[in-house]
Amino acid sequence: MDILIVDDSEDQLLVLKSILNEKGYESIHLVSSAEEAFDFLGLKDKKKKKGEIDLILMDVIMPKTNGIEACERIKRENALKDTPIIMITANREEAQLQAAFQAGAMDYITKPINITELLARIRSALRLKMETDSRKERERELTEMAERLDAANKKLTRMSYLDGLTGVPNRRYFEEFFAREWKNAIRLNSPLSLIMFDIDCFKAYNDTYGHLNGDDCLKKIASSLENALKRPRDFLCRYGGEEFIAVLPDTDKKGALSVAKRFLEKTDKLKIVHKNSTVSKNVTISVGVAAINPDKKSKPTSFIGEVDKALYEAKQSGRNCIKEGFTT
Amino acid sequence: MSEKTEREKIKVTVPSYAIQLVPNFLKNREKDIKEVEKSLKKEDFETIQRLGHSMKGSGSIYGFDGITELGKIIESSAKSKNTSEIKNSLAELKDYLNRIEIVNE
Repeated sequence: MDILIVDDSEDQLLVLKSILNEKGYESIHLVSSAEEAFDFLGLKDKKKKKGEIDLILMDVIMPKTNGIEACERIKRENALKDTPIIMITANREEAQLQAAFQAGAMDYITKPINITELLARIRSALRLKMETDSRKERERELTEMAERLDAANKKLTRMSYLDGLTGVPNRRYFEEFFAREWKNAIRLNSPLSLIMFDIDCFKAYNDTYGHLNGDDCLKKIASSLENALKRPRDFLCRYGGEEFIAVLPDTDKKGALSVAKRFLEKTDKLKIVHKNSTVSKNVTISVGVAAINPDKKSKPTSFIGEVDKALYEAKQSGRNCIKEGFTT
Repeated sequence: MSEKTEREKIKVTVPSYAIQLVPNFLKNREKDIKEVEKSLKKEDFETIQRLGHSMKGSGSIYGFDGITELGKIIESSAKSKNTSEIKNSLAELKDYLNRIEIVNE
């Protein structure tokens, strides 16, 4: 615990230091004017290293800057506003005490100093300082922890909506955001389209090249076709296995078909060799498209059923093609 | 004060924390006396008041209640510019300093 004593009387400074040393307070710093105190506390030169102080004992009557003015000046410093100041005063005059407390003093003792009183006041001031310090430390830790927790939560939320393998949104994301777009479409009386596709002969691909290469193939297609979506509200999700679904808000069948075509072209451009495919020498996809202008009577599940059926038809008619679902 | 008591020593119990500081403390009081005398000639009561004030503040804590008492009188008589009172107190202070016998706690 570091105590700074400010007093213009050398006799007073030395005896106080000696008393406090005797009682086990070892770090006692002495200055003989307010100006020296400001310098010691780093108030004059901000770049100068400050003396860390836990308590200040301040004489009231000093030439030049008196103790009350000095107290006021120190308390204006943000870093020192929790450092207790005990005023040492020769009289108990009401006005002077009031001025001292107003200036931010925590306590006062009167001269001639009663040592028992002095020590009791120092103890309680230091206890308060320690409590304030540890409370501030706890607050800082709590804020830090809350920030870390918040960041972790955000990361978890993000992760819980993403497919771990391909990095595109997952089925869970689809359920939530498709339901949202469905409601939007009803409210805005706008069309909504779905494109569902899967990779042709994917089992054969895995059997031929192994599962690691199979995973790689899924990643390439997911990222390439996700990039094929241009509008900000469009999104592609991994629906399950080698099946993906794209949601295209405010898009009619014509628009959806052109995106589906782009999907086929992009897949073709990837040129992922697939020697055991029954369709082509490269990996291909089969695509189903459905569009709707939903109203309150429409059912989202039957709309998803439609696009699923369209995809099935595309598979039935030889794969590597697009089929449309029934339009309402 | 009677003639008889003047010759007697005044025992002052100095607390342990002040023992090493007492010689310097007493030397400072000798300086104070000289300064008060100088100030009296100049009628600089402000300085006398300040010196009295600091004697009052530090005497007891060193164990010298007499210095605190006399400091108090010097301070207040300087405030009322009572030269004779100051002179009396100064004489008493000299006498006090001559007669003290330090006893360790």
